[in-house]
Amino acid sequence: MSFEGLPAKATGKKMTFLESIYLVEIVRGLGVTISHLVKNIFATEAMPTMQYPEEKRVYSDRFRGRHHLMQREDGTPRCVACQMCSTYCPADCITIEGAEHPDPSIEKYPASFEIDLLRCVFCGLCEEACPCDAIRLDTGIYEIAADDRAKFVVDKEFLLHNKSDGTR
Amino acid sequence: MPIVLESLAKIVFMFLLILGMVPVLIWAERKGAAFIQDRTGPNRAAIGGVRLAGLVHPIADVLKLVFKEDVQPDARHKAMYNMAPWAAMTIAVSSYAVIPFGDFITIAGRKIPLVVADLQVGALYVLAVASLGTYGVVMGGWAANNKFTFLGGIRATAQMISYEISMGLALMGLMLVFASLRITDIVAGQGDLIFGFLPKWGVVVQPLGFVLFITAVFAETNRNPFDLPEGESEIVAGFHLEYSSLKFALFFMAEYCHMVVGAALISAFYFGGYQIPWLPRPVLEAHAGGLLTGKLIAIIIVSGIFAVLFLRRAQKERNKFGDARDREPRIGAGLWLMVAAGAAGALLLKPWHIGPQGAEMVASIAQIFAFVGKVVFFAWLFIWVRWTLPRFRYDQLMHLGWKVMLPLGLANLVVTAVVMALV
Amino acid sequence: MAKLTIDGKEIEVPDGTSLFDACREARGEPLPHFCYHPDLSIAGVCRLCQVEVEGMPKLTIACNTGVRDGMVVSTRNERVTQAAQQILEMHLINHPVDCPICDQAGECGLQNQYMKYGLYDSEVEIADKVNKAKAQVIGPHVILDKERCVLCSRCVRFCDEVTGTSEMGIFNRGNRAEIGTAPGVELDNNYSLNTVDICPVGALTSRDFRFQKRVWMLKAANSICPGCATGCNVRLDHEAGRLYRIKPRYNPDVNGRWMCDRGRMLYKAVHDENRLLDPARGGQTLRWAELDTDLLAGDGGLFVTSAHQSLEEMFLLKKLAAGGTVCGGLAGSDTGDSDELLLNADHTPNRQGLGLLDLPEMNGAALAEAISGTTGPVVVHGGNPAGEDVVAAALRGHGRTVYIGSHDNETAQACNLVLPGAVWAEKAGIFANRDGRLQAFSQSVARAGSSREDWRILAELAGGEVPGSLRAVREELAEALDLTEVNLNKLPARGLAPVGATSGGED
Repeated sequence: MSFEGLPAKATGKKMTFLESIYLVEIVRGLGVTISHLVKNIFATEAMPTMQYPEEKRVYSDRFRGRHHLMQREDGTPRCVACQMCSTYCPADCITIEGAEHPDPSIEKYPASFEIDLLRCVFCGLCEEACPCDAIRLDTGIYEIAADDRAKFVVDKEFLLHNKSDGTR
Repeated sequence: MPIVLESLAKIVFMFLLILGMVPVLIWAERKGAAFIQDRTGPNRAAIGGVRLAGLVHPIADVLKLVFKEDVQPDARHKAMYNMAPWAAMTIAVSSYAVIPFGDFITIAGRKIPLVVADLQVGALYVLAVASLGTYGVVMGGWAANNKFTFLGGIRATAQMISYEISMGLALMGLMLVFASLRITDIVAGQGDLIFGFLPKWGVVVQPLGFVLFITAVFAETNRNPFDLPEGESEIVAGFHLEYSSLKFALFFMAEYCHMVVGAALISAFYFGGYQIPWLPRPVLEAHAGGLLTGKLIAIIIVSGIFAVLFLRRAQKERNKFGDARDREPRIGAGLWLMVAAGAAGALLLKPWHIGPQGAEMVASIAQIFAFVGKVVFFAWLFIWVRWTLPRFRYDQLMHLGWKVMLPLGLANLVVTAVVMALV
Repeated sequence: MAKLTIDGKEIEVPDGTSLFDACREARGEPLPHFCYHPDLSIAGVCRLCQVEVEGMPKLTIACNTGVRDGMVVSTRNERVTQAAQQILEMHLINHPVDCPICDQAGECGLQNQYMKYGLYDSEVEIADKVNKAKAQVIGPHVILDKERCVLCSRCVRFCDEVTGTSEMGIFNRGNRAEIGTAPGVELDNNYSLNTVDICPVGALTSRDFRFQKRVWMLKAANSICPGCATGCNVRLDHEAGRLYRIKPRYNPDVNGRWMCDRGRMLYKAVHDENRLLDPARGGQTLRWAELDTDLLAGDGGLFVTSAHQSLEEMFLLKKLAAGGTVCGGLAGSDTGDSDELLLNADHTPNRQGLGLLDLPEMNGAALAEAISGTTGPVVVHGGNPAGEDVVAAALRGHGRTVYIGSHDNETAQACNLVLPGAVWAEKAGIFANRDGRLQAFSQSVARAGSSREDWRILAELAGGEVPGSLRAVREELAEALDLTEVNLNKLPARGLAPVGATSGGED
């Protein structure tokens, strides 16, 4: 980008006399606003506002909603507690404790897997870091409200059965 | 004794008028702002499913503010902190005493002027009380012992000093034209016609004075584009930052009372007050019967249209929400039908055969309606302007007040005086 | 001396140096390697440290080649780097690459060296790997994963050469070759966790640390092992105020690169459940602000320290005693197993310090008699003299007893006023090891509960006559020990050797 040929100082448009006394322009402005008002009174349905609890926006499938732990076929978590996600997490919201799995071919599983949804920034880096495709943000759930801070720390059981439609 | 009763009745009427307009104005502000900005605005609060297009929200707001905890700063000046919102509210309402809301009304053979106090120096009283309005703001800003509130208070003072001079100069031109300080005289004088067709309104004889006056009134009410004492983008919430609960509600209401007062002053000084153009009092009284009948028929037609609209909505949105709100259109239709039926019932009383006494009454009421209508329009203008114009920068505010409005006001006064002397 | 050129750089090294060490000196970093270890014999099995020597037709491994005058070596040309790449690929052929569940991930030789020298776009087929036993417990402390092993034989050589126990061996041939313990033998010696340290991959991992924490989350702090009079130099790995493991730190004058398994488990005492967390009087918990030192009023008294305390604390207690009797604690307490490698029979870290400060130890009967014979207060600092019943009885009978310690034990039970002190990982101090070598340790984790550093407690009890910082305490201590030319606040990295001791080993 070159600054050559540009004036050294920004100069605004020179106002005409009518503009400089403001009154005409104010009236024109009032005209703009009242035209919107009148238009909207007679076409309330056409307004872009969504009546949220009744109407809900449909998001893309790639929308990152509340986290979800993938399950193996037997219903146990696919996670092996490698803690790549908690290492990568920029908000430091994932806490995992590993433990010995009874099945020696699996070896390690998360004894506890907690996500602090209040700290989470829903960046999706945990999904990206996961070597086992065990964590996904694919539930599409964005209505995350509770009346207690403690309720925002969700545990493994919750995350395993977390899809809004009950599927896994 | 009857004079005391009369005055009391008039005071109560004015008070109810103002306080009754406050929630409506708040509603108009929120809903109007929303529509201007292509939003839907408040539409959730409901009583038994009836939302009145958001009119229930002011009620909910009041309930909320009344029951909220009153959080107060520790280092406040207790007496002033508690006094400030009341001062703001009282001063806002007291200008009303001298504004005539009608000509006169005859009740039980007594001819009652429709003004609380018909002061000889009414215009001066208005100016005096208007400048007192700063005290509420300054006291609140100082007593809260917070730098932002303090800045807000200082801004209010500086703004008041700068603009009340122009306000006074603008009014002086008007006083010269109508040769009186008594507001009833000024309003009565505006009933005439110039050249036989132009109403002799203040705005017609003093156009520059009107522009100066309305600008100054905007500044005095601390409304946008002159709301620097609040200036939320710079000083958080300005003077009322440390107020909560009922005290905040009082400040909030005082602002709207100021608006109503401002609107009343504009209509009384420059738009003929209660005068209906081309319909002076004798004409009104002469055609009172026809007027009343016409009004009733208009009511029937309008409420009928509303009822039909509501019925159509009821049919279209039978189960839109799946809760009590679905009843709303049917209730609305019923109400409008009842209004139409009431008006039709009144028609049966043969209103075209109204006697002279009744004619007088109708004329008085018509004039009160005319006044209230003008006030409502200018109150709406306050809202309208707020959602159209951006806020002034502080130096722009001072520049406008001292370098533009003051010389213009002086010039206006001199020209008016010369013209009045020559004519 | 031999003069040779490595990567165009001329260096001079003593005769008999291995080419590996010469290359490390010239390059500033070691060659890629798995099997080479400075404290073990040369095996030359990993073939990773190959370099090009002018005049030799093939690449040669640097670890098993001695330097020769006039050698011209390249370690970074294309032939060498390609060889390293290909050998790393070969090591990967049967490696399971289960890094997500491997405790070694983050400090793994295969990971680190592959990132540095590897091919990245691997040519290894994942499908036909040779499967071997995983997660095999081979001893009380060690767990073996045969798939991850790169057969460097470091553990075998360690057991053969350092401990002489020879539990480990390589069995079978070709791609079936695997590491293991001899039939019927467990890897059960007091140094078994050193095999975990030297294992370059995740084949041998610690059972105690298994799945506790990913290593990259740990922070390290230097310290001294308090387990015995040897005073091994250690590194405390901790995170969020919790210790997770203890690793040896190289000090050729004390412990070399090793430490014993017993010392490695001492971190558990730091987070023990019976830690003293709050001051207490007669079983009633107090806050520090409510503390009344009326018990200490009066002249004389008996002041008992222990060989577990740091030099500074012993010194302060001695100062606090002023007119009273001072005692170094129970003679012969905390003695036990020993071996000729590192573990000393004296299981206290600072018994030499008692001698330095002239604090005589007493046996149980003498101590009990001294306690009963005192009219003034009795202050017991650390240790557990009441482990002997006579002392416990004497303490109970006295009535004006104060215990400053970290854990709830018989002495804490027997004393009237109990003040919670810090454990060694929660405070700074100096220990004198079996040779009288002064070694400093510093705080690594936050103190448990409302416990305080012992020197602070002692300084407070002593009133205004004691300096307000550990730095000042050490300056006074140096004066008392007649170590005027030594700065105790800045001891050398290997510790301050007593006069006349010799230093050995490379840095």
